[in-house]
Amino acid sequence: MRVPSSMISWLVAVAALLALPWLVTSDYYVNIASQIVIAAILALSLNLLIGFGGMTSLGHAAYLGVAAYLSIYLTAHAGFGHLAGALIAIGATTVLAMLFGFLALRASGLGFLMITLALGQILWGVAYRWASLTGGDNGLGGLKRPHPFGLNLMDPAIFYYFVLAFLGIALWCIARFVQSGLGQSLQGTRDQPRRMRALGYEVWLIQWLSFVFAGFWGAVAGLLYAYYHQFVSPQTLHLTTSAEALLMVIAGGTGTLLGPVVGAALVVILKNIVSAYITRWLILLGVIFVAIVLFMPEGLVPGLTRWVRALRNRPPADKPADAPSVAKGPAR
Amino acid sequence: MTTPVLEVAGLFRYFGGLPAVRDVSMRIPVGERRLLLGPNGAGKTTFFNLIAGDFPPSQGEIRIFGQNVTRKSASQRTHLGMARTYQIITLFSKNTLLHNVVISLVGLRKIRFNPWSDLRRQTSLWEEARATLALVGLEHVADRTVAETSYGERRRLEIAMALAQKPKLLLLDEPLAGLSADERQDVQRLLQSIPRDVTIVMIEHDMDVALAFADVITVMQHGQVVVEGSRADVVADPRTREVYLGH
Repeated sequence: MRVPSSMISWLVAVAALLALPWLVTSDYYVNIASQIVIAAILALSLNLLIGFGGMTSLGHAAYLGVAAYLSIYLTAHAGFGHLAGALIAIGATTVLAMLFGFLALRASGLGFLMITLALGQILWGVAYRWASLTGGDNGLGGLKRPHPFGLNLMDPAIFYYFVLAFLGIALWCIARFVQSGLGQSLQGTRDQPRRMRALGYEVWLIQWLSFVFAGFWGAVAGLLYAYYHQFVSPQTLHLTTSAEALLMVIAGGTGTLLGPVVGAALVVILKNIVSAYITRWLILLGVIFVAIVLFMPEGLVPGLTRWVRALRNRPPADKPADAPSVAKGPAR
Repeated sequence: MTTPVLEVAGLFRYFGGLPAVRDVSMRIPVGERRLLLGPNGAGKTTFFNLIAGDFPPSQGEIRIFGQNVTRKSASQRTHLGMARTYQIITLFSKNTLLHNVVISLVGLRKIRFNPWSDLRRQTSLWEEARATLALVGLEHVADRTVAETSYGERRRLEIAMALAQKPKLLLLDEPLAGLSADERQDVQRLLQSIPRDVTIVMIEHDMDVALAFADVITVMQHGQVVVEGSRADVVADPRTREVYLGH
């Protein structure tokens, strides 16, 4: 039986992710990997809106930050247990996504973007100014990582596997969603909203349900973020966090499952590792982003796939130069 | 007396100060083939969009199957049994023809809200879509993407997507526009084959085709109904000549 190459690629990727704590020698890099995984869940959730729904949001940090604040506040300051704190944090953040979706989906395109940005900044302002509750600029800390099923999440490798399991579940659920009736409806509303209405689809409701689903996964990322950092500050809710998530999605490839994961890896590595060697690492990030837009406007994952296909279809070296070739690009 | 499929009373639509549709009233009984004629800018497509629910009228009332739908959304009207095609082809170009028809079928089913069930595994839907494509003669290109098909095939796909929903009221906005003579004949045959229990309202510029198809013709100009009647009445009416030839 011949195994498809895509299956082999997936298996290799999964094996590499599982083996990572053994492949890298220091806890520092395992922690970086955990950060990538958490960022990937956030980017995947944002990709539901941007890639599959055509709704570009600049307020997605809201769900990351609110879930993080809530879980830390409830668990470390209000006396809730870890499970109750986590469930309430995710539930309340999802309810917030319901409200934000209701407000933001009154507009589309640039209007939608501006409303999400404004809502995100309102939360940032609240976190910054309501110091008695949020700790203001000093942030909120004091959370201890839970011990689910006796696992010691203080161990970097165990924590990495813990968040990796969540990424696996997120990928599976989102992949399932994308192929579902609702997911396909969402993609239809992205491409032809007017036609979809004429076909009997309630475009607003489909977008709202998807918005809430994206908010839920943003909340899951927020919970894991809180467990990782054991601290949250207004910076988590800031526009720059939303912009970073947007960058991850666009750089990796919108409307793909792996794109946001690769985009998250790129941004987190540049932010945490390259910044140690290059002071102006943001300039490097900008240059990389411009290069991606120029050479792979569809993003890294679809772009690299296109390049690999083109290389595979390249004619053999001994083929006459004037022979027709499918690999030949358009005339420039 | 049976309830008309479509009833429009005193319909107005203004864009700014410009009246695109002015005091249009119409009653279309079950099974009728109604043709809307008129020069460009006569308000035919705006009238269609008002019936379909793309935007609300400035004044007037629309009833479909006896129900007042004036303030109902386009999707709510579709669920009552109305389907439409577009003058400018509006398809999902990256998807296959089969997928386009499946999207059309899903629009009327609860599965459109299901976040879990894999649409690819709904074999009955895909079989139904394939049968619909066979009905319009597109079975052989069912697995091609829309981008890989000819203009005539896309026009037929537009009709297939509407027919897939088994409508009782079908609005066709220039279904023959841009087609070759052979393709026109194909589409004409297809339209003739639609059962009589489906009421059809069609906008068309080709007089020969249109006259052969229609039971009743409504001629519009400047957003108003100028002439309405049987084929013979409309052809004989001097106002029709005036609308088309200006004298």
